[in-house]
Amino acid sequence: MRLSSLIVATGLLFSGLTAFAAEAAHEVAGAAEAHHGIPAKAVELWSIGGFPITNSMLITWAVALVLIVFAQVATRDMKRVPSGAQNFLEWVVEGLYGFLEGVIGTMLVKKTFWFFATIFIFILWSNWLGLLPGVGTIGYGHQTDEGFKVAEPWFRGVNADLNMTLAMSMIFFLCWTVWALQVNGPVGFLKHLFAPKGDTTGFLKVLMVVVFLAVGVLEVISIMFRPVSLSFRLYGNIFAGENMLESMANLMPGWLGRVLIPIPFYFMELLVGIVQALVFMLLTAVFTMLICEHDEESGGAHH
Amino acid sequence: MLMPILAQVTGNIHIGLAALGAAIGVGLIGAKASEAVGRNPGAATKILVQSILAIAFAEGIVFFAIFLATKAWPAQG
Repeated sequence: MRLSSLIVATGLLFSGLTAFAAEAAHEVAGAAEAHHGIPAKAVELWSIGGFPITNSMLITWAVALVLIVFAQVATRDMKRVPSGAQNFLEWVVEGLYGFLEGVIGTMLVKKTFWFFATIFIFILWSNWLGLLPGVGTIGYGHQTDEGFKVAEPWFRGVNADLNMTLAMSMIFFLCWTVWALQVNGPVGFLKHLFAPKGDTTGFLKVLMVVVFLAVGVLEVISIMFRPVSLSFRLYGNIFAGENMLESMANLMPGWLGRVLIPIPFYFMELLVGIVQALVFMLLTAVFTMLICEHDEESGGAHH
Repeated sequence: MLMPILAQVTGNIHIGLAALGAAIGVGLIGAKASEAVGRNPGAATKILVQSILAIAFAEGIVFFAIFLATKAWPAQG
């Protein structure tokens, strides 16, 4: 049951994301192409009736396809004692479930596990698939003095596209709002943001109401900035990693330098890939926990 | 000659200072986290979660600095 809902969640996330990315690709102004390194935005390869297909979207679909096919193959013939692909998938899902349960609590993890597991697995695999040789190096180009330069690569790391990371953090923001309203209720949600905490009486109470109203306004501003910082963090890390690999490959002329120098940085990028997937999942999980935990505590205190 | 160089250099100083501060912050968090794991190895997972969150917040500053310092973003350059 758990596995199949995970697959559905992956599919849903994708149909939403690709539409969003296409819309946003029009709006985001292209950063001026730097003289060195890779361009800050994904290159548009084709346009089908005004719907742009960028090179990072191709990798997004490839990652989605790989994950969906793997999940289908692994769960096609379910056994009570798992082996092979099913065993691996169960290990991943159960490991994530146990980890998240320790972070956000038993009640919340049942409700929100599908989202965090999808986000983690998808970001991890898109980061790692983006490191495959060929991503960013196969494409249309032209001959220059320094050798062949690829101007329009066919593939680009998924999270090296700000549209993608922004879409993911906006989807989280929507889910966060829905979960917060479901757990706290509309009044409880507002109370959680603006109402004074702690037991005070008399004049101090009035003062506390004013202070916590101001705190609530600040909190709302910080909540509004969360999607921005989430998307910048992921995009910045992955895009910087791709740029660094590119610069390291161009550091020394000759094929030997091109092959050998980036290798240590590839290992670092493997590490960054998993750490950033973990960071995105943990931050979103903790944000969700922060808005939802208050209700349980006060509920326990009242009764 | 000097003025154009200074004008070109400001954005980089801005990012460089942010990167310096974030690097110091990340280093402090990492040092304290490994110290904490050394003192209490049983709490390694909890410490990992806390330190990764703290590191993420510390390094987020650099990305804000980069995006705010880049002339071509968000306006079309």
